[in-house]
Amino acid sequence: MRISTANSFDTGIDTLTRRQSDLAQIQEQISSGKRVDRASDDPAAAARAERALAAIGRSETSQRAVDASRVAMTQTESSLGDATGLLQRARELVVSAGNASYGDSERRHIADEIQSLREQLLAVANQGDGAGTWLFGGQSPTQKPFVDAAGGVQYAGAPGQSLTEAPTGLPLTSDGRTAWLSARTGNGVFVTGAAPTVASATIDVGSVANPSALTGSAYALQFSVAAGVTTYAVLKDGLPTAVTAAPYATGQAIVIDGMRVAVSGTPANGDAFQITPSTPTLGVFAALDQAAAGLRATGRTGAQIAQANAFALRDVDAVLGGVQSARSSTGAVLNRIDSETDRLDGQKLASRTERSNAEDVDLVHAISDFQSRQSSYDAALKSYAMVQRLSLFQYLNGG
Amino acid sequence: MSAISLLSLGSRAMTANYAALQVTGNNIANANTAGYSRQHVELATAFSQQTGSGFFGKGVDVATVTRAHSAFLTREAALTQSLAAADGTRSDQLRQLEGVFRTGEAGLGYAAQQMFNAFVDVANRPQDASARQVVLARVGDLAARFRTASDQIDSLQAGIAQGVRTAVASINSLTTRIADLNTRIANVQGTGHAPNELLDQRDTAINELSQIVQVTTVPAADGSVGVFLGGAQKLVLGGTATALSAVTDPFDPARVQLGIAEAGTTRAFPDGFIAGGSVAGLLRVQNHDLPDARGLIGRLASAIAGALNKQQALGLDLGQPAAAGAPLLAIGAAAVAPSSNNAMVGGVPVASYLSGGVRVSSVSIAVVDSKELQPSDYELVADPALPAGSYRLTRLADGASQTVTDGAVVDGFRIDIAPPVPAARDRFLLQPSSQATRSIALALADPKGIAAASPVGASLAAANTGTATVASLTAVNTTLNPNLVATITFTDDLGNYSYSLVDSTAALPTVNGTGTFMAGQPISLNGFELRLAGVPKTADSLAVARTMLPAGNNGNANALLGLRDAALVGQRTVGAVVVPGVNVTDAYASALATVGVRVQSAELDADQSASLAADAKTQASSTSGVNLDEEAARLIQFQQSYQAAAKMLQVAQSVFDTLLQIGR
Repeated sequence: MRISTANSFDTGIDTLTRRQSDLAQIQEQISSGKRVDRASDDPAAAARAERALAAIGRSETSQRAVDASRVAMTQTESSLGDATGLLQRARELVVSAGNASYGDSERRHIADEIQSLREQLLAVANQGDGAGTWLFGGQSPTQKPFVDAAGGVQYAGAPGQSLTEAPTGLPLTSDGRTAWLSARTGNGVFVTGAAPTVASATIDVGSVANPSALTGSAYALQFSVAAGVTTYAVLKDGLPTAVTAAPYATGQAIVIDGMRVAVSGTPANGDAFQITPSTPTLGVFAALDQAAAGLRATGRTGAQIAQANAFALRDVDAVLGGVQSARSSTGAVLNRIDSETDRLDGQKLASRTERSNAEDVDLVHAISDFQSRQSSYDAALKSYAMVQRLSLFQYLNGG
Repeated sequence: MSAISLLSLGSRAMTANYAALQVTGNNIANANTAGYSRQHVELATAFSQQTGSGFFGKGVDVATVTRAHSAFLTREAALTQSLAAADGTRSDQLRQLEGVFRTGEAGLGYAAQQMFNAFVDVANRPQDASARQVVLARVGDLAARFRTASDQIDSLQAGIAQGVRTAVASINSLTTRIADLNTRIANVQGTGHAPNELLDQRDTAINELSQIVQVTTVPAADGSVGVFLGGAQKLVLGGTATALSAVTDPFDPARVQLGIAEAGTTRAFPDGFIAGGSVAGLLRVQNHDLPDARGLIGRLASAIAGALNKQQALGLDLGQPAAAGAPLLAIGAAAVAPSSNNAMVGGVPVASYLSGGVRVSSVSIAVVDSKELQPSDYELVADPALPAGSYRLTRLADGASQTVTDGAVVDGFRIDIAPPVPAARDRFLLQPSSQATRSIALALADPKGIAAASPVGASLAAANTGTATVASLTAVNTTLNPNLVATITFTDDLGNYSYSLVDSTAALPTVNGTGTFMAGQPISLNGFELRLAGVPKTADSLAVARTMLPAGNNGNANALLGLRDAALVGQRTVGAVVVPGVNVTDAYASALATVGVRVQSAELDADQSASLAADAKTQASSTSGVNLDEEAARLIQFQQSYQAAAKMLQVAQSVFDTLLQIGR
């Protein structure tokens, strides 16, 4: 075939340009470390890398939510720890108030101290994170949750919790109503109480004898003393029951519909005790207020003092239990946060690997490619130089 | 026989060889001239002289100068170059278009993700103005990227329109030149010698024309060549050229089609009429690739803005008093472009009316569900074959066609046709989403305007004994009436519940009902969706009531954050079955891959057709190109012949001298 000289120069230059651009392309890949720079380099890999990038961003974002929850829950946990300490101190005080040698003034000092613990606890319950969020703000984190109102401390926020995004749903605030104001009254199942006029007998906090026999009704024990014999009648929801004139012995257990209570002392004629179902309405502050009020009361009989102290101890124990249960559920959330963090870390690593696999250059492969392209460019240059030197004119000049 | 004849023989040989040397020299001189065909001298023996002792040759004659040329190879080279120009142009344009769909952190998909992700800080701390400010900045950034993408497509479109106009000017100048050359060639047709340079020039002009538009050539008896476009439309016939013109698209004045002005009217060639040449590449990008790209990003923008603004409207902002959230993103509205060829009466289109002093088209569209939008424009035609009130609607991306009437909802948008109705054969371009990115912008300036709060909040009764807690509560419908207090009480341990909706303003009657809760399924009442975690027990209850303190509530911020995983894009309803769409990341990744594949195959096409063109050119030049080695050999050959002829003269002179000496 005839070769057109001009065309052979043209194609020679074309080939060299192409080889050079091949070489530049792989050199660019090696220096940038990216195999896929534009979608057309490898459309499927580009789409994969895009999804992996979004997954990385997603994990990082979820981690921010988890971190926010961790900060809040760590502070909550430590607040509830403080509250536990304060309530234990209050319990010790209530226990010490039972000292028979104490007079009204000693008890008033104890009441003062309980009062001060209550103020400290209110400060703990109203703790903020320093950035406008109340730890126990529930669903209204910007609202100061506990306000001292006439009749005791009330919850001013919206109960519940602020959560991070579903489905993880980690709490950003704690439900203050549950933690502070929702301990169960009485012994957790029923509440025993004495009429204010009872002066010479006490009722204990009671216990459950048979859970399946519980009815949830309100009962009353009414004592009658006739001819030196003390008997009692049981009323259920205000109506008489079969128990009408049961003989009374001090400290003996009385079992009513699965509940066991004991009355001690010498009840007077007409003394009444109530047994009502427990409700989740006992607040930390109400319990302490009640305890302090009891200790401040003067001119009471020994039985009245003992009764008040027993009920105060019962209530402080109940609210302490409530705070501790809130603390342990906070601890459980912190555990969940740890495992969530681990999961997100794993997810992020997997996404990073996926992105790298999709779009990063395989250096071994790229360098070997580079070398083979380099030698072919080198060969192209050499052969071009040799072929283009050949011209008949060169030989004619000599002749 | 005389000595004179030897002299004349020698001088003829010298002339012929000198002519051959001259042609060789010309070849060498034009070795690098584009379009030059190698020439050579046709030598012929002169008529011989009859004598008694036979025929004596009278030397050599120069018959003519011919050019080495193959019509077939030249045509082949022009054709392949035409296709290579089309593919190469399209590939170049698509590479630029690919710049709109950036990968990784520079891309639209990443910006959209970042925007959704920014809501996490608002959810963590709804009262934090800086977190809200970040969201606004991210929304603004996303809008700016969409706008940049749209501007890039616009500027590509402008470049293409400019390119087509320039090409039309070049085409017209080339056809005029070809017609002129035709005339000149026809004029010298009678001389019996081929006008080699003129033929070369005409071939070159046709070759240049082929690179702009693919043409076919038909030679005529008078030596002229007819040039036709698309096999039928004449461009050059003999000495006359027909001028082409750049015709503005009837739907979009920014677009330009190739057309012709004949008998006072301008007619655009149909799409695909021109098979090759750079104009074909430009038009293909303009008519197909750019609308597709605009459709993809427009649909994405519409879907994001639609979902974002809808969720924003369902929440409460930080205002005093808290109000439903105002739109975050403003996008270009769905548009209708009537064809400029539609029927007119009194200078105004038939299908239009005055609304508030402004003339508007009778056909209008509105997006009703941004999730269902498809990445395409549509053409609505008043087809006279259809009954009155029915129109043919064609989805341009895939050509799917259907019959619609006023009020029809197609692919997430509604078509409204008000009187006066369109005349027969009127055409309208419907753009439900492709104009969205033109004016996309952040619509909210005040960070307080972000509706982070949910209008309702759920609270569990304190006496509950089950483990159920609220996992999420999301407003999903604008019909939600926050005055209604929904109380849900579980009636057994299996998840059956009864509910009551009590109007706290006592304006509406109480609604009671029952339902069954299943794990993972939301409880939907009053326009909200409530998801529970854990297991509810008998007599457990919870209440969903108006959020009294929206300042710190993050319910809607979580819902906005949740949009990052929601299937916002490309839902389809086939019959009554809803085929869910994909989330924003997947939508962008698949758009990226779609464009990537298109660029990749265009590049492969361009490579392939370029190498075919190079081969054809090499083939053609192997016939008509100059090889300098060959010319060098010819130079020596004719130089020696010339020297030999000169020697003949010397011999003839000495013969004369010998004769003269005899006579002395």
